[in-house]
Amino acid sequence: MSVEAQQGIAAPRVPAGLSGLLPALILIGLFFVVPVLALLLRSVTDPAPGLQNYAALLGDGTYARVFFNTFLVAFVVTIVTVLVAFPVAWMLAIMPPALASILFGIIILSMWTNLLTRTYAWMVLLQRTGVINRALIGAGIIDQPLPLINNLTGVTIGMVYIMLPFMILPLVGTLRAIDPMTLRAAALCGASPLAAFRRILLPLSLPGIAAGGLMVFVMSLGYFVTPALLGGTSNMMLAEMIAQMIQSLLNWGLGSAAAFILLVVTMALYALQLRLVGARRAVGGA
Amino acid sequence: MLLDYDRLGWLKIALLGFTALVAAFLLLPVVFIVLLSFGSSRWLAFPPPGWTLKWYQELFADPSWIEAALTSARIATMTAILAVTIGLLASFALVRGQFRGREILRGLLLTPMVLPVVVFAIAIYAFFLRLGLGGTTIGFVVAHTVLALPFAIIPIATALEGFDKSIEDAAIVCGASPLQAKLRITLPSIRIGIFSAAIFSFLASWDEVVVAIFMASPTLQTLPVKIWGSLRSDLTPVIAAASSLLVALTLALMIVTALLRRKLQT
Amino acid sequence: MTQPFLSIRKLRKVFGAFTAVHDVTLDIPKGQFLTFLGPSGSGKSTTLYAIAGFQDPTSGNVLLQGKSLLSVPSHKRNIGMVFQRYTLFPHLSVAENVAFPLRVRRRPDAEVKRKVADMLSLVRLENFAERLPAALSGGQQQRVALARALAYDPPILLMDEPLSALDKKLREEIQAEIRRIHRETGVTILYVTHDQEEALHLSDRIALFRDGRIEQIGTGEDLYLRPATDFVAGFIGNSNFLAAEHLETVSGASTIRLADGSLVSGINANGSFERGQKTRLMIRPEAFRLERSPNNAELSVEIVDIAFYGERRRIVARTSAGQEIDIRPTSSMAATQDTSPGRRRVFFDPGGAFLFPA
Repeated sequence: MSVEAQQGIAAPRVPAGLSGLLPALILIGLFFVVPVLALLLRSVTDPAPGLQNYAALLGDGTYARVFFNTFLVAFVVTIVTVLVAFPVAWMLAIMPPALASILFGIIILSMWTNLLTRTYAWMVLLQRTGVINRALIGAGIIDQPLPLINNLTGVTIGMVYIMLPFMILPLVGTLRAIDPMTLRAAALCGASPLAAFRRILLPLSLPGIAAGGLMVFVMSLGYFVTPALLGGTSNMMLAEMIAQMIQSLLNWGLGSAAAFILLVVTMALYALQLRLVGARRAVGGA
Repeated sequence: MLLDYDRLGWLKIALLGFTALVAAFLLLPVVFIVLLSFGSSRWLAFPPPGWTLKWYQELFADPSWIEAALTSARIATMTAILAVTIGLLASFALVRGQFRGREILRGLLLTPMVLPVVVFAIAIYAFFLRLGLGGTTIGFVVAHTVLALPFAIIPIATALEGFDKSIEDAAIVCGASPLQAKLRITLPSIRIGIFSAAIFSFLASWDEVVVAIFMASPTLQTLPVKIWGSLRSDLTPVIAAASSLLVALTLALMIVTALLRRKLQT
Repeated sequence: MTQPFLSIRKLRKVFGAFTAVHDVTLDIPKGQFLTFLGPSGSGKSTTLYAIAGFQDPTSGNVLLQGKSLLSVPSHKRNIGMVFQRYTLFPHLSVAENVAFPLRVRRRPDAEVKRKVADMLSLVRLENFAERLPAALSGGQQQRVALARALAYDPPILLMDEPLSALDKKLREEIQAEIRRIHRETGVTILYVTHDQEEALHLSDRIALFRDGRIEQIGTGEDLYLRPATDFVAGFIGNSNFLAAEHLETVSGASTIRLADGSLVSGINANGSFERGQKTRLMIRPEAFRLERSPNNAELSVEIVDIAFYGERRRIVARTSAGQEIDIRPTSSMAATQDTSPGRRRVFFDPGGAFLFPA
């Protein structure tokens, strides 16, 4: 094949590449961007043009409580998830491969099992007459069943359960990227295990913790299913409130405005995460 | 030493103990639900007073469960095919293309994964109401494809980035047309990525609850919608039976994935 | 009786079916620069790791001034170490890296500051204190690692192939640095390398490892001039091995017959040989002469190739038995000599040649 012929096939590569993006752009443009923008528009036009929906949302104590709850739950879930995930990721990063693949199998099984199935299991496990309460009473630890469901405890347990894999898996990557020799060097320098953890291991895993934690926080903010099923009416979260406004109250204006607030907060945190870790790694875990 | 498994001493015992607890925590609901589905107590007492298959009989006797499962399978299959096809084309452009705003476009295509589903759900619900697509199979498939697209693009683009393009060029120099080179050289090389994309986008649709809740009509509901409805009315053990079948399906999928990956990698 | 400073007693390390270190015993006097030399997998690094406390030996002991180190965890051994891959703490500045051992020892700030400054001037990196390791070259990073390892005045400094990741010029530069620092600080150094030139250049003493055992220990000159085994002879310096038949040995001087039938007497015998035993004669390439001297043995060869290497010429020749040998007379000597291709005789001192079992 001649040089000219080769250039001939190489030349149209760039436009050809762009045309490959067309189906995706049409799909996302028409069925994602347009509907979301239409929703935004509705938040300032329904029932009448103006910002009254936002004023209502931000000025009312009940709504403020929902916002506060949403952030509180997301915050608590993130902290607990990070604390639980770190030791597991640490062990996963260094344990023998055979043991690690069993643990990875358990994590994937939990992650791939239907979301409603998992939540249903927790509903049964956590209810007043559920296994956990009975076991605790049977063991003589408590006399009265603990209120584990329809409150913050239930939501936290259910959400941490769902978020753990999203924290553990990227963190394993971060920890595996740390050279074990660095920690050996720290030990020979005289650092006790605690000092080596505090001064070396923790700072070196911090980027992974921050990225994973931010992702968990963002996901928790907008989570609907688990809080709706495990949470109580007194601590409703934003996503559930939005669904209710649309589905039960048919208040499109207010619902759209609340959705827009959730969108702005989420996207702002997502942008922050992108700046922290770069676009590739931010979404690379899936 | 903190990263030397054999040199952790008592710390290893403590950390392994904690890890075992977390593993148990992760397994607990899955195992529990399977055991419960064979328990004879309608009130979900545990440990169950006896063992039975009646919840499975009840499940299979109810045509609405079967119907919902078939609907879900149909929608998820179509979603996976669409998402992988569109994702494959897009990945080539995103990885190979040399144009401005590439990163922005990549970010845009991945946004549906980040945006809270509830926002998208009400947006597409309102949109489809106007278009008359609410409660239709097409509506479901389109909405689910939007949500599944990032899960298709990420593994394919990752695989494509790891593929040395000069191999494709070599095929072209050998006389293959660019399309032939892509079909016969590049696609087989990134098949693990394509395969992962298919699994992930199938699951993204199969497990999707929120959009489905809004979109479902009395005549068209997916399995998650059916479960959701049952959960809200009562915690019948039939849900446990249905859930156990879903767990079995997940396990089967994991095994198939593991086997296929091993086969494709060699 | 004086106690050895650092003493390794019958150290053994077994990994499953593989014995990495076989009962190594070794005494190291204070202030000595001792190199563990050997091919990869010979047990030199494993021995070093046992001293550092990264691996527990299967049996044996390591004693520092008479006290066993084995029950002391790494962070209390007070040993300095420089690693092959720098292993600086990537999130800490150069100064903070050097300060790290002092900070974890909770030394007062003023002392830390002074010591860091001293150490950075010792490795000549005063102007890089605030840089992060990633902003330094490989050679600079290794100098920081050296400063960090010496900051707390450890009595022993372990170095695990510290120069293997550097290019030749940098390697030589840092070698000089290490010699200077050893001189100035008087620290006892245990140095692991597979590079014989590095070992010869740096060390007071070399322990040559092979398959988990010490094959020979001595000064570089000992190993070069008086190799105990053919492995030592082959590993240190260049060597030619010629097939030979042993005839007799009288008071340490052997007579042999080479493959071309010529007899050579006055060879240094290593061990005892029987009459007619197959042996190998080792001659260093630089031991060959192109002109006859008194008492020299001679070898008839055919010159195959001549290459010029600056201070030396390298001649590839073939013996009449068909074996290729390497001859490196100094250039000045070779220049006056006829080294044109063709048959000729070369000469060597039998006293500088060694006989080993085949």
